[in-house]
Amino acid sequence: MLNSNLRRHMPFWLSIAAGIAIWEIAGRSTSAAFMVPFSETVVRLWQLIAAGEFIPELLDSGQLFLTGFVLALIVGIPFGLLLARVRVLRVGIEPYIMIVYATPLVALIPFILSMMGFGFAPKVLVVFLFAVFPVLYNTVEGARSIKPEMIEVAQSFRSSEWALWREVMLPYTLPYTMTGVRQAIGRALVGMVAAEFFLSSTGLGQLIMSASQNFDTGGVFASILVIGLIGVGLMRLGLRIENHFARWRM
Amino acid sequence: MTESAIGIPIPVPAAPKVSPRGGRLLGAFIPRFVTGITILLAWEIVVRAFAPAYVAKPSTVVLAIPRVIVDPAFLTATRITLTAVAEGLSIALVFGTAIGLLMGRSPAVERAIRHYVNGFYAVPMIVVLPLFSLWFGYSGATRIATVIFAAIFSIIVNVADGARSVPRDYLEVARAFRAGRLSVLAEIVLPASMPYLLAGFRLAAGRALIGAVVAEFFISSGGLGYFILYNSRVYHHNEAFVGVLLLAAFGVGFELLVAWCTRRFLPWYRREERN
Repeated sequence: MLNSNLRRHMPFWLSIAAGIAIWEIAGRSTSAAFMVPFSETVVRLWQLIAAGEFIPELLDSGQLFLTGFVLALIVGIPFGLLLARVRVLRVGIEPYIMIVYATPLVALIPFILSMMGFGFAPKVLVVFLFAVFPVLYNTVEGARSIKPEMIEVAQSFRSSEWALWREVMLPYTLPYTMTGVRQAIGRALVGMVAAEFFLSSTGLGQLIMSASQNFDTGGVFASILVIGLIGVGLMRLGLRIENHFARWRM
Repeated sequence: MTESAIGIPIPVPAAPKVSPRGGRLLGAFIPRFVTGITILLAWEIVVRAFAPAYVAKPSTVVLAIPRVIVDPAFLTATRITLTAVAEGLSIALVFGTAIGLLMGRSPAVERAIRHYVNGFYAVPMIVVLPLFSLWFGYSGATRIATVIFAAIFSIIVNVADGARSVPRDYLEVARAFRAGRLSVLAEIVLPASMPYLLAGFRLAAGRALIGAVVAEFFISSGGLGYFILYNSRVYHHNEAFVGVLLLAAFGVGFELLVAWCTRRFLPWYRREERN
């Protein structure tokens, strides 16, 4: 049992070990301003944590991410479902959702900065904007996958509104919505870092910025490593949520 | 919504009968037109009522368009950004496809680099900006590097998926005819992964555009991102917004181009999804 488990995870650990070794060698053979080896990155990370600089910034970023992301879900999911149900609304609004979805919304950050300044609210707005459109876009996609005949049949059998939602609308649209939620997690993370870079500097973004301005390459690597690991973890969580609902997909 | 809650059926879903294409387009046109006008009006009214005069609103943005699109600074910025996106995307496409094919067809390569590809794909691309600017300086090289980093992983991931899902029969036939490894990759695996490649390219193009704009914010030199940043700093929001409109046009243009390519060149793919 243990043996087979070990064998299954062997390639993973081998590949991680090889990656760390390459990083270590590359870091040692280049100048310290350019790249720092893995060992020094870990040491630097530990120093930052021990100095009490790291954890508060991490929590700060987390608060920003969660506020914007949860707002995007609270607005995006009900609105998306409303569009799914009321066909004329969906048909009317769907090209605009598609346009905004395809627009690089980072380009709006300078406007948000000059109108709303440096508070917490403009940063939440950035995360919200990044996250809400994938949810809407995918929910609408799901709504399009419902054949109008399905609703007609349900209605001609005098199905109640509640039954229509339970039997047709939700099973068809929610899996798509969850794809949107997964994408939204990734985008909200980009929005979080973008807001921390270009609006008021706080959180992990500020940590990276000040490290790079002080030519503290170790600090830059340490912060990127942590944000990268958070990204990987959140993406896994997103995939798990998506797969959970994908079972409904017809 | 409220009507339906008390049981009166909504009159709309009767529309999509087996009507000719023109009729359906016309049916969609009216709600779209009304929604568009509503959005523009709401924007205009809200900005007029609550926002300072410099904030962009539809009426003033429209007036700014003819002025901006002949402005040499704007044209140069557009050219710079587009060139960087095109260069970065091409590099990402070539290397991404090659790595993706290898990863999809060789279990050893797959095992060695899968976690890194997925890992870098999940990293919010803009965190590497301070690092890239440290490496490449505050120059165009940082922008290209960011575009490549933003674009390449979605191409690798998708091409690898495609290469993995090539039907077995194709490969067996090729083997029966003693096809070489390289020609199997180039002539069977690559064409069969085309739909995945296009899907990856679609994602990559959007990410590349974001990467270019963010890099321009960061390095503050040249390009549409900087044009937008500069103009909004000096309170020329209308002019800056024309830049946003152009970026939106590029974003939508890429989407439409890929959709068109899929329909035109890969009609065998996902036929059932076109309804």
